[in-house]
Amino acid sequence: MSVQPEQATEKSAAGALMRVSSDKIGRLMDLVSELSLSVSETINSPDLQDLDLVDFEAASHRLSMIVREVQDAATELRLVPVSEVFRRLKRMVRELERETGKKIDLELRGEDTAIDKLVADRLYDPLLHVVRNSADHGLEPPDERVAAGKSDKGTIILGAAQVGSEVRIQVIDDGRGLNREKILKIARKRGFFGPDEEPEPSTLWKCIFEPGFSTAEAVTTLSGRGVGMDVLNTTMKDLRGRIAVDSEAGNGTSVSLHIPVSLAFLDSILLRLGNQLFTVPVEDIHEIVKPTGSESVEISADNGTEMLKLRGKFIPVRRLETFYRNCRKEIRPLSDMVSIVFSTARGHIAVPVDEVLDRQQVVMKPLTGALAQVRASWGCALLATGEVAIVLDCERLAVGGDK
Amino acid sequence: MSQTEAVEAKTEAAAMPIVDSDGIESMYLTFAVGDESYGVSIGMVTEIVGMQTIMSVPDVPHYIKGVINLRGKVIPLMDVRLRFGIEERPYDERTVVIVLEVDDAPIGLIVDRVSEVLDVPADKIDRTGNFGGGEGKSMVSALARIEDRLAILLDVHALVSDSDLKMPDLS
Repeated sequence: MSVQPEQATEKSAAGALMRVSSDKIGRLMDLVSELSLSVSETINSPDLQDLDLVDFEAASHRLSMIVREVQDAATELRLVPVSEVFRRLKRMVRELERETGKKIDLELRGEDTAIDKLVADRLYDPLLHVVRNSADHGLEPPDERVAAGKSDKGTIILGAAQVGSEVRIQVIDDGRGLNREKILKIARKRGFFGPDEEPEPSTLWKCIFEPGFSTAEAVTTLSGRGVGMDVLNTTMKDLRGRIAVDSEAGNGTSVSLHIPVSLAFLDSILLRLGNQLFTVPVEDIHEIVKPTGSESVEISADNGTEMLKLRGKFIPVRRLETFYRNCRKEIRPLSDMVSIVFSTARGHIAVPVDEVLDRQQVVMKPLTGALAQVRASWGCALLATGEVAIVLDCERLAVGGDK
Repeated sequence: MSQTEAVEAKTEAAAMPIVDSDGIESMYLTFAVGDESYGVSIGMVTEIVGMQTIMSVPDVPHYIKGVINLRGKVIPLMDVRLRFGIEERPYDERTVVIVLEVDDAPIGLIVDRVSEVLDVPADKIDRTGNFGGGEGKSMVSALARIEDRLAILLDVHALVSDSDLKMPDLS
């Protein structure tokens, strides 16, 4: 392994680097989460209720603090700086410069941002496509740039920053920006928008990530085949990530990938519907509302689709009761429930539940075997109480129907 | 560690003979569902636990009653009575969960009670029967004759797959 010299000296002061197999770390993580569960089970045992245990309270408080720290330390074991991925992209950009004949300045920012090793390993391919797109379609050839009054050298900024439990990776170029007319024309042709619909820029830009969507006139070896974006979409889905695009004609484009720092832990809000528990990543929630009766309408002509009126806008309601099999069958009026408004790629949706319980850091487990058929879910979550909740994937919930 | 704990939890299970590892191929854990006696290969069984609080989950077939959290592992529970189309009955103190590992995924079978571990020699197993009169793959792999009794040996792969069931209308 090649370690940069300044890093090597820094590391040797704190101790040598060790290579540990990811299985061993995985085992440790499993044990730590079991430990944390059984500690919380012990401390919250019903046998202890109504007892006045002053020393026990103090000791158990200390114990929970330590467990929490152990959990953090174990999570940190899996974190690596994004600089590893960025370095590989730097080499790629040199190659792109040669192939396109464009001059590209690559600026790296926030390389120390830490991210789960499993996530980092999967980031290279999707990022590569975004960077390629910027270099190939975003940046203009030198003469065109000079004519537009820009420096002949194009700049691509590759930045990373942690915001809450998310890492945001941005690819910003100072190229020609996205062409609204061209993209809108293709998007209309593909049926994403009606002929007279004028979508918001952020909604329109997202179309460029639809499979097979390419405005590049000529398919080059670099990009334009619309295949790369599939890789981006699939990977982002697997990583529970989101994509945001911003662009200004003549001034460039910025693509942000929002990815959770760790796939094992989830900062989530716990919801209850009937006797079932659900949980959703905090960052997916736009707002939580308690509508009154007058704020909802039902459209019989569209299979009784319900809409929630929120500050003058209508938001489609997705009922878990009708989406899922063997969920509670009784449909209670919206005014008796709490509606969670999610931001999804298809716009906002409102999901009514009986109760919003708590905000919790939960351990995620994949759905295997008999549970693999649960639709619109990332997995299941083990709560501190030992209960199990289904983690909702609001993107797939918004799409509705089958997987 | 886990095995012992679980076995202790159930006195009947504690009375089970220690399984000799050489003969594991011919060993079957038998259990009762209604008046019938069923058996699963002991190699599939990871542990036997008492009934615990089941948490309901959406989008699973009706015979999957929900999940339990077994020391940090989420295990779906199948009510074998519902799976076989027998009338459901309330769980009592003899109801147990047999946890199996099938195709790398855990599944718990809710059965009326566990009976014993039996060593069934190959010549006592009758595989000639043509099971699966209904549609799809049969859950029965063979019949075992033990003295004057009969145990129905299950094909756990067929048991956990729901290919023999028609999916309910989702619309």
